Amino acid sequence: MSADPYSVVVRELFAATPHAGDLIRAESVFTADQEVRIRLSATAEDGVVTAVRFRAWGCPHLIAAAEAACAALEGQPTTVLADWTAADLMQNLPVPVEKTGRILVLEDTVRSLGQRFRDRT
Amino acid sequence: MAEDFIYLDYAASTPVDPRVFDRMRECSEATCANPSSTHAAGRVSQDIIAGAAAQVAGLLSVDPKTLVWTSGATESDNLAIAGGARYRASRGRHIITMKTEHKAVTDVFEKLGREGFEVTWVEPGSNGLLDPAGFEAVLRADTQFASIMFVNNETGVIQDIEALGNICRERDILFHVDAAQAVGKVQIDLSKLPVDLLSLTGHKFYGPKGIGALYIADRPGCHVDPILFGGGQQRRLRPGTLPTELIAGLGMAAEIAAESINDDLEHLKALRAVLWGGIKDIEGVTVNGDPGGFPGILNVSVDDVEGESLLLALEPLLVATGSACNSKIQEPSYVLRALGLTDMRAQSAIRFSVGRPTTMDEVEFAAGHYRAAVEQLRTLAPENAA
Repeated sequence: MSADPYSVVVRELFAATPHAGDLIRAESVFTADQEVRIRLSATAEDGVVTAVRFRAWGCPHLIAAAEAACAALEGQPTTVLADWTAADLMQNLPVPVEKTGRILVLEDTVRSLGQRFRDRT
Repeated sequence: MAEDFIYLDYAASTPVDPRVFDRMRECSEATCANPSSTHAAGRVSQDIIAGAAAQVAGLLSVDPKTLVWTSGATESDNLAIAGGARYRASRGRHIITMKTEHKAVTDVFEKLGREGFEVTWVEPGSNGLLDPAGFEAVLRADTQFASIMFVNNETGVIQDIEALGNICRERDILFHVDAAQAVGKVQIDLSKLPVDLLSLTGHKFYGPKGIGALYIADRPGCHVDPILFGGGQQRRLRPGTLPTELIAGLGMAAEIAAESINDDLEHLKALRAVLWGGIKDIEGVTVNGDPGGFPGILNVSVDDVEGESLLLALEPLLVATGSACNSKIQEPSYVLRALGLTDMRAQSAIRFSVGRPTTMDEVEFAAGHYRAAVEQLRTLAPENAA
């Protein structure tokens, strides 16, 4: 059988999205670019991210990346978000090069969220 | 095929009917001889091929001598279009086709355009149907060739081949029909239809892959120049050793289709009714193309759902998307764009295509699964602002 366009990791993250949804009383950022739409919302306590949720419209790689990013960001210092990079994520899923732009939209959204936390303090 | 999947992609290809397999095995065991050989074993191969020609001819109501074996519809289209246009080039170099044709047709027209032919691309209406009056309006004194498909491979839209053919026949324009999605599936009587050239392929109606045919009407001025060279087979129109077993398989598939075509159509209509009935009330879902087309194909778009994610969410259904499958970044189908769909709606398009082996349980499951997938992705999607 020829190569599956989706890795096992992407398939698993796409199929089960426990971080999909919204948070109330949270910082929230919406981005629409590169034929995708993403909204991230996050809560923090004492400078640590306590919860992150996403909503996304886009290809399976974007949805999988959003789910993975949310899981990875929980428990991190809020200061990490403003400089967050999707490079490791793109390598681990992996994301095909032609979809890099879409994942960079996710990266921008996370950074904007980080900026919100930075502005708040 | 993996047992966990539900195959709903019969417009892409069909499984080989077991009776076709049996016939191919029987022929393979009967002789290995080259049908061009004049010895006794070669004559066995010739007889097998003659029998298959009679079976295919019977399905189409034509003389077996009007058939040329090819490797499939793509080659048949190439031979018909390039060969037909070049044969008529001394009379005129204006040729016509439609924007929603298969790539096997459009790419040949583009090639001929680069060779100095003048191509007119006629557009269908938003339902995918070509208005015969609109077609007639673009004809010129130097128009010598036209190609219009019978059943569209993406939408199932059926063109009015009789009306279009009559227009061409009145003006002695060579009229080619790509019938890859039609032969063996809808009734075609070429003793009555005004068609000069017709392409078909085996694997779309339960025959083997790698074998097809081109029908060339036996009438004055109806001929094609060869596009392959290298031997005298098939009146030099298509040289090369004939694949006896594949031709025998195509013949058997044609015989089976001739016997079962009406029952098949009733079965497909019932499947389509259940499938569409199960999804038609989803908000924003629409049928792409004339809903009165070939019942084996149902192409639907839906609002605000991303096509690639929908395709993955639809697994274990094996269906086709409305995007160009040869592109890594999925581009909207040019066929659906020609029908006036936005990029977004074209990109969300899913083609369900059912066939003889498809069951009611499968389409009921498909409808329910489509509903669930659309709901899941809509729930996942953000509103347009934070």
